[in-house]
Amino acid sequence: MSGYSASNLQKMKRIRLRVLKIFSIALFCVMLPAIAQTRQNRSDSACASCHAARSATQPKTPMGRALELPGDDPTLKEHPKLTFHRGPYTYTVETHGDKSTYSVTDGAHTISLPIHWNFGQGAQTWFLERDGDYFESMVSYYPSIAGLDITTGDDSLSPTTLDEAVGRKLQKHEPKDCFGCHATNAVANEKLDLASLQPGVTCEHCHKGSSAHLVDASQGEYGSTPPDLRKLSSEDISNFCGQCHRTWDMVIRSHWRGPINVRFQPYRLANSKCFDGTDPRISCIACHDPHQDVVRQDSSYDGKCMACHGVSGHPSSASSGNPAACPVAKSNCVSCHMPKVKLPNGLMTFTDHQIRVVKPGEPYPN
Amino acid sequence: MGKLHHLPSAFLIFGLFYTALLPAILVNVVFPPTASAQEPSGFDELVSQASAAREQNNLPQAIDLYKQAVALNPKWPDGWWFLGSLQYATDAYAPARDALTHYIEINPNAGPAIALRGLCEFETGEYVQSLQDIQRGLALGAANRPRNAGILQYHEALLLTRNGKFGDALQEYGLLSKTSASNPDLFEGVGLAGLRTALLPKEVEASRHELFVMAGDAAFHFMAGDEKAAQQKFQDLFQRFPTAANTHYLYGYLLFPKDPDQAVTEFKRELEIAPSNAAASLMLAWNSLIRNNPSEALVYAQKVVAEEPAFPGAQLVLGRSLVETGDAQAGLAHLGKALQLEPQNLEAHIALAKAYSELGRKQDARRERLLCLELTKNETNQVASP
Repeated sequence: MSGYSASNLQKMKRIRLRVLKIFSIALFCVMLPAIAQTRQNRSDSACASCHAARSATQPKTPMGRALELPGDDPTLKEHPKLTFHRGPYTYTVETHGDKSTYSVTDGAHTISLPIHWNFGQGAQTWFLERDGDYFESMVSYYPSIAGLDITTGDDSLSPTTLDEAVGRKLQKHEPKDCFGCHATNAVANEKLDLASLQPGVTCEHCHKGSSAHLVDASQGEYGSTPPDLRKLSSEDISNFCGQCHRTWDMVIRSHWRGPINVRFQPYRLANSKCFDGTDPRISCIACHDPHQDVVRQDSSYDGKCMACHGVSGHPSSASSGNPAACPVAKSNCVSCHMPKVKLPNGLMTFTDHQIRVVKPGEPYPN
Repeated sequence: MGKLHHLPSAFLIFGLFYTALLPAILVNVVFPPTASAQEPSGFDELVSQASAAREQNNLPQAIDLYKQAVALNPKWPDGWWFLGSLQYATDAYAPARDALTHYIEINPNAGPAIALRGLCEFETGEYVQSLQDIQRGLALGAANRPRNAGILQYHEALLLTRNGKFGDALQEYGLLSKTSASNPDLFEGVGLAGLRTALLPKEVEASRHELFVMAGDAAFHFMAGDEKAAQQKFQDLFQRFPTAANTHYLYGYLLFPKDPDQAVTEFKRELEIAPSNAAASLMLAWNSLIRNNPSEALVYAQKVVAEEPAFPGAQLVLGRSLVETGDAQAGLAHLGKALQLEPQNLEAHIALAKAYSELGRKQDARRERLLCLELTKNETNQVASP
């Protein structure tokens, strides 16, 4: 250490860091137009410069891939020709390279439409455009059968013409709702703007204002940091996630009763006896990190249940005492208390988020 | 509106009956009697004479004979039924009402008789009882045929309008628009509900009939699904009556479920014409809430409550706006007022559940949620879009 004291070393290190920081900011400013350009594709690549871990995992989640362009989607490439028959109509989804076509025929006539948008991971539905009108494809791809079947929710439709057989014609507001949930920046001034959308749920979708934050942060300004969603109450988190996953209110107003509502998790969770709008231990993000793929292993949730039902319960539950611990098992809580429920069409299975003591033979509640 | 307007108009509106056939149809087809009770011997001859007179459309004689018969045997239900329905057919509404009351005392759940008594009460001006009876009759199956349903829904809608339940009335007219032929009398009823005027057609000043008929015509076509024709008719209405209250509100109200942006434009136009129009402000407040803009909703909601504090919707929208702008405690008070005014209001219970949840009142929130589930348990929709 001759000639250099420890403090000198520290000082040199600080100077080097400062130079590096200034250089980084300068580089960042020079690159900003390019980043902004790239944002049209995925803004998370820009966010990754600071939020590397989350930006690395989130785009791979089902939410991050909630909408994909045909060329980006492996499902159709793996199944280059899918067919399905219903009544007099035959549906075909054919893929050649990056192009997919959705067709329906009654034997005499055929309507073929290009697929531009794949909605959903796992099960997949196609958003179609015909003569200026938008349609939800009458059939969807279901991994459980590795093939096509009627789109969930359209089971009751009985098309009487080839035109009707294409799919459910969307009402004026619906395309905005579809893209509003499955894409980012698809809605500007409450109008659908397909030119500006980014496929899937990206940073900006949930963290409104992250684009401005990106610019400000490059200049060392952090006043425009988007609100920290972790600070929302459980009730507000449910309503936030429920904008797409459906809130309790939406399901009640729509009168969606029975197993069809099992896929609306915020509704099911709010019906749970243990739901408390101010207790962070029962919020969506207490169990799920939206930046990570959903965890499928039952035992991994035990700690979340035990946060309330363990011996050392949280003091906030002291008013009614700690909730009872399970007399049956000490692990895999969700395997009994959050059963798997099939949709009435039998094609998809969801975890029921109405946490409860399930009694044998009891009908599906609510 | 004279005699022809009252009973027959209801029927003629829907093109259902010919006046000459009306009594026989009414008695034998529309509201068939229940099985007879055991009659004492001696009055069989009277019954057969009454029946013959009725079949020959000799209504005065039939009425007289049925009166004698029920005097002899007051527990004979069919006698009261025939007497009441024939009196109704001859515009003797008060006696008809009383005869039907005797019949209903014997058969308390006879939906058609209760509904027919409601129609009598409509004609005698007993509007509160009339609405009660028509609704109870409908609940007990009086709308057993499309034509009966049309007659009863039309009268129910008129009475709901008179009670200021304009939205409920429009809902009834919406059902009628799918099954009924267009008619100026029907249009006027729709127009009164649509322009939020708590009057019966006969109470409208002659100079205003045109306004209500034009408004109703446009609304009827919209509800029947002919939106293109409706758009033109609304434009004609706006041109003919540029300052009439609630015309733009009505168009916006109908557009709202399908085209909320255009609806908002119409509500704002309404406020330009009538700045104190609480209904238009209320819809703008709702729209802001739906679009997740509770701060904007709060401004409209405060305006609505200042103008119409006794309007449940006003208290509800202010309560919700307060809860959603972070003042759940203040919101509770207004939601409570909304429920005092309308205890079964689902939206108020939904908002209360949310407010309690925000405040950490877990048990209260759960109670409200269970109540909402109970209130909606019979309205199951098995289709849920993705």
